[in-house]
Amino acid sequence: MTVATLTATALTLTACGRGGDAESASGGQTGAAVSSGKATGTITVWAMGAEGEKLPTLAKEFESANPGVKVKVTAIPWDAAHNKFTAAIAANKTPDVAMVGSTWMGEFAGLDALDPTPPAIDRSAFFEGAQKTTEVNGTSYGIPWYVETRVLFYRSDLAKKAGFDSAPTDQAGLKEMAKAMQTKAGAKWGIGLQAGGTGSWQTLMPFAWSDGADLTKDDGKAYNFDSPQIVDAAKYYQSFFTDGISDKAAPATPTTEPDFASGKVPMFISGPWMMSAVEKVGGAGFKDKYNVAPIPAGSAGSSSFVGGSNLAVFKNTQNRDASWKFVQWLADPDVQATWYGLSTDLPSVKSAWDAPDLKGDEKLAVFGKQLETAKAPPSFPTWEQVVTSFDTELEKVTKQGADPSTSMATVQQNAESIGTGQ
Amino acid sequence: MATVTAPSGGAPGQPGGPGEAGGTGDTETSRRPRRTGGLREGRAAWVLALPFCVLFLFFTAWPVVQSLFMSFTDTRSRDLRTPFDVNVIGLDNYAKALSDPVFRKAALNTAYFVLIGMPLTLVVALAAAIALDKGITRFRSVFRLGFYMPVITSIVAVAVVWRFLLQDEFGLINTVLGWVGIDGPNWLGDPDWSMPGLILMAAWRNFGTAMIIFLAGLQGVPAQLHEAAAIDGAGAWQRFRHVTLPLLRPTLLFVSVTTAIGYLQFFEEPFVMTSGGPLNSTISLSMYTYKQFGFGNYGLASSMSYLIFVVIAIVTAIQFRLLRERS
Repeated sequence: MTVATLTATALTLTACGRGGDAESASGGQTGAAVSSGKATGTITVWAMGAEGEKLPTLAKEFESANPGVKVKVTAIPWDAAHNKFTAAIAANKTPDVAMVGSTWMGEFAGLDALDPTPPAIDRSAFFEGAQKTTEVNGTSYGIPWYVETRVLFYRSDLAKKAGFDSAPTDQAGLKEMAKAMQTKAGAKWGIGLQAGGTGSWQTLMPFAWSDGADLTKDDGKAYNFDSPQIVDAAKYYQSFFTDGISDKAAPATPTTEPDFASGKVPMFISGPWMMSAVEKVGGAGFKDKYNVAPIPAGSAGSSSFVGGSNLAVFKNTQNRDASWKFVQWLADPDVQATWYGLSTDLPSVKSAWDAPDLKGDEKLAVFGKQLETAKAPPSFPTWEQVVTSFDTELEKVTKQGADPSTSMATVQQNAESIGTGQ
Repeated sequence: MATVTAPSGGAPGQPGGPGEAGGTGDTETSRRPRRTGGLREGRAAWVLALPFCVLFLFFTAWPVVQSLFMSFTDTRSRDLRTPFDVNVIGLDNYAKALSDPVFRKAALNTAYFVLIGMPLTLVVALAAAIALDKGITRFRSVFRLGFYMPVITSIVAVAVVWRFLLQDEFGLINTVLGWVGIDGPNWLGDPDWSMPGLILMAAWRNFGTAMIIFLAGLQGVPAQLHEAAAIDGAGAWQRFRHVTLPLLRPTLLFVSVTTAIGYLQFFEEPFVMTSGGPLNSTISLSMYTYKQFGFGNYGLASSMSYLIFVVIAIVTAIQFRLLRERS
């Protein structure tokens, strides 16, 4: 494995070491510089889901700002995307630029398919947690394009009934308020926490990160699931289910929106898309009946999960300069604000949050603030595989009352046998 | 009963009996004079079959061989670009798959699905076929269409509807159970009830195919045998047991083999309904294999595919042994 990594690194250096830039402290590297001037030629871009459908509108603006460039956007369904990418990489038929899911970065960089980010792109412009998702072994491949993070949604009207004027600020407060929602405000369940299953780690980890947890150890070279912070977070998480505050037999079809609107489950943790979803179900005036708040703080402050998608340039592009110019243009604060208007995807560039659309919205500002401390999982190629056992063990913790420290030890053991894949 | 068992043994009236008996002699004699032209005909046949043969070799036979080879190597997605650089690790993948607790759980779930789901599907299909053949003559085509409709409906559409039907609080199934005083379970949310929920849905969705084939088989049962049996004093159940069922044996073999193969590859239902949960209670062999491919563990996933293949071969062999027509 070491030999493979070394060979990959050597190849990367010979292919892209033209700029001769200084390496970063962690042993990573910087891509070659990109020529100045207008972009020319044709570039192909792959993007998934709604982004793939809406990107052509934005690409037109890039084309008019750079006469002589042609951007060809291919929309790819999310379901088929991962296979299409791995097949394209194996066949050396990759696009020039692509939207890449933030958890795929490690895998694609491990396949030696991505071009390191050139120095002209200012990494400090992005939210730190999001920027971290582009980095594999200390080298940044691409930029964060848009971000999302998870915060606490709560019914402010019912909270008042339960005797709370503001959102809980610490973990004990969250539990107290959730309980009061049941006893005083007539809620069936205090808070809707995902009882295991796909992606439930994203609800658990904010509590652990707020306590200072780190998913890696040994200088970021190994998984670290059984750390005391994660075990404690799992114990805390479990207590909601054992105390009857959260529903351990959550339905297979999530009914978060109607349950929130009816007051049956007046609190949950989720991402920005839930705002329009609950307002749609809640009807007119519901906007004023709920609020969002940062994840209740632990011993290390308030932290949450950062998700979203990155933009990367593939190594065997025939038009490297134009590709990076397009990526750089998409990271421009004004373009990011325009993109928010088109897609409601939250900007990954911090200064884009000064745009009136974003600044004027109080609830959105909570997401903006949370993003400053939000964290992402490690960019190991095997992350997706390892995390399924995390989800399964968490399900045992919530539904079957399994011992959190045993469960987390199992996840760690599993992760060690799978390896980081680097 | 003697009147009944005789025909299948080759009564003079049956076309199958004499035809088969004279069969070998017939072909021997008729083949000889044709032999001179046979070569040219043979060549034409090969030319016509060549495109298919080439496609078959490249797109079916080769991948099968390749994945068999892959199952003995440690191929991962990162090796795709250097396919000659993988290590042959012998049976390690097979050992790893068989000792993986999730794979074992998937095997148990699949066995559960086949052992409960397949008989249920066949019984419902046979009952529906008999009803359509005998009872409901007036709106036969309407019912036939209705029963067959789920088969041709997209599984995703079916899944959306069934997720509502199986919903624990306001789902139709639990509402109906509530009318008769039964407190319905949390079908897809409870690990004990998730498989029964999926089996219900699968039986409902798949029995139409088996029913159509049973119906064709039933219509091939000569009416005079039933009349003869009735004259001998056989009741409805006896006629079914001793006339219909023996004559339906080849149909039953075909339907049970195809249904079992389909059910051993149990994939769509958990994939769209539960994604294997809760607590891995609905994860199936095919789905777990698919997941391993998704993780880029191509060697391991290939060995799992071959394990499924072996299981299907064994189950099919058992069915042939049990249901083959006794001659």
